[in-house]
Amino acid sequence: MRCPNSALRQDAESVLAVNEHREAYDTLHHTLNDIGCLRARLGLTHGAHWQGDVANDFSLPPDHAISRHDELVDRVSNAVSLYNRWRRWRGPWLLVAVFATGAGIGVVMGFALCLGLAAG
Amino acid sequence: MSMARFSPFELVLLNSRSQVDTATLLLLAWVLVNRQHVSEGQRRRRLAQVTAQFRHGHELGPVMSIAHNQDLQAIQLAAEILRKECSQERSLSVLHQSITVATDDGDLSLANHYILRFLADLLNVTPTTLSTLFYELTGRPLTSPEDPSRHAYWQRHNPDYFNQKAREAAAKQQARDEAAQQADEKNQQRKQKKQRKQQEKQRQQEEAQARQAHARQERERQRQRDDQSRREQAQREQARQDRSRYERAQGERRQWQRTAPPPDRTTRALAVLGLPPGASRSDVRLAYRRMAQLHHPDRFFTESEHQVALASARFQRIKNAYDYLMQTY
Repeated sequence: MRCPNSALRQDAESVLAVNEHREAYDTLHHTLNDIGCLRARLGLTHGAHWQGDVANDFSLPPDHAISRHDELVDRVSNAVSLYNRWRRWRGPWLLVAVFATGAGIGVVMGFALCLGLAAG
Repeated sequence: MSMARFSPFELVLLNSRSQVDTATLLLLAWVLVNRQHVSEGQRRRRLAQVTAQFRHGHELGPVMSIAHNQDLQAIQLAAEILRKECSQERSLSVLHQSITVATDDGDLSLANHYILRFLADLLNVTPTTLSTLFYELTGRPLTSPEDPSRHAYWQRHNPDYFNQKAREAAAKQQARDEAAQQADEKNQQRKQKKQRKQQEKQRQQEEAQARQAHARQERERQRQRDDQSRREQAQREQARQDRSRYERAQGERRQWQRTAPPPDRTTRALAVLGLPPGASRSDVRLAYRRMAQLHHPDRFFTESEHQVALASARFQRIKNAYDYLMQTY
């Protein structure tokens, strides 16, 4: 079906029918999408520099992504607490437990081997 | 709590001596990546030059590669750090550096138009301040970004393409005109040919009609000649019979018939109808009607057979005479 608006058709032909133009257009479109997303997450969808058609076209509703900085701080805190725990007391006891488990398995397997030999 | 691993930018940030500087570095690298007509080496050198005073203390390579990947989460993190930890003076300084990096010697790219405005909003810089700063740094006013989804934009920025397109369209139009002209000529020729054929056909028809008319005339003439010869023969025959009768009658009435001139057939026919020689056609018709009424055999059906036969003979003679006169007159 052919678009009845001739100006719109001419715009579309000039922009989308030429590879070079289309690439430039797509790149800018991608960048504007990114900026729209960033503004939505940073609460800048009503900034003084974000007005008019572009703002209308590329503003996104706020999503549930939390602040990246808070996330980083949480992750660092978690890593620090894990490290501290390991360093304090859980680390050595864990090593002892692993060693004891390995020794027990070895004893059981040796006992089974002795039984097999005796039966044979 | 997220169990994901630390992203490359987070690791860079953790290794940085100044997180604000590292965040600024990433945003400046983002602006540089969106600059056009600049090589990768030039970008890296420019970034090192601009951030010479920074205290981040790590390599620029990882930051450049993150900016190249357009890692949205990293940019968001940098923006958050910048907003959280930047003073007013530092904000203006960052914006200053961004404008410098975006418009060193060339024009401001479309993407950087929007990135600079995003940074201005992020750093709480008003449009007036941004315009002033831009004008002071570049010597040109900050215009509103153009719209590359319009035909007019590409006409301005890529006139070569449209010139070539116009030339191609003109060539196509010319080819179409030539084709139309050729088609016209062909049509004309076909029409002329058709007309010639029609004229030829018409001529042939006329000739055929003329031949037919000629043949008809010939036949007619032949028929007339035949009629004439038949009539002449009949006349000769009649004349011969008349002569023999006349000779017989002469033998009987030799005395008075020798002097009378031999009457021709028309005179005799007129005489049968009781008319003088030279009577008109209407006179002949009237006389015939009168004679036919007088001598019709039906009038004598009460008489004897002999009378009827005589009347028939008389009527026959009258009719013959009338027929002859009708033919000759």
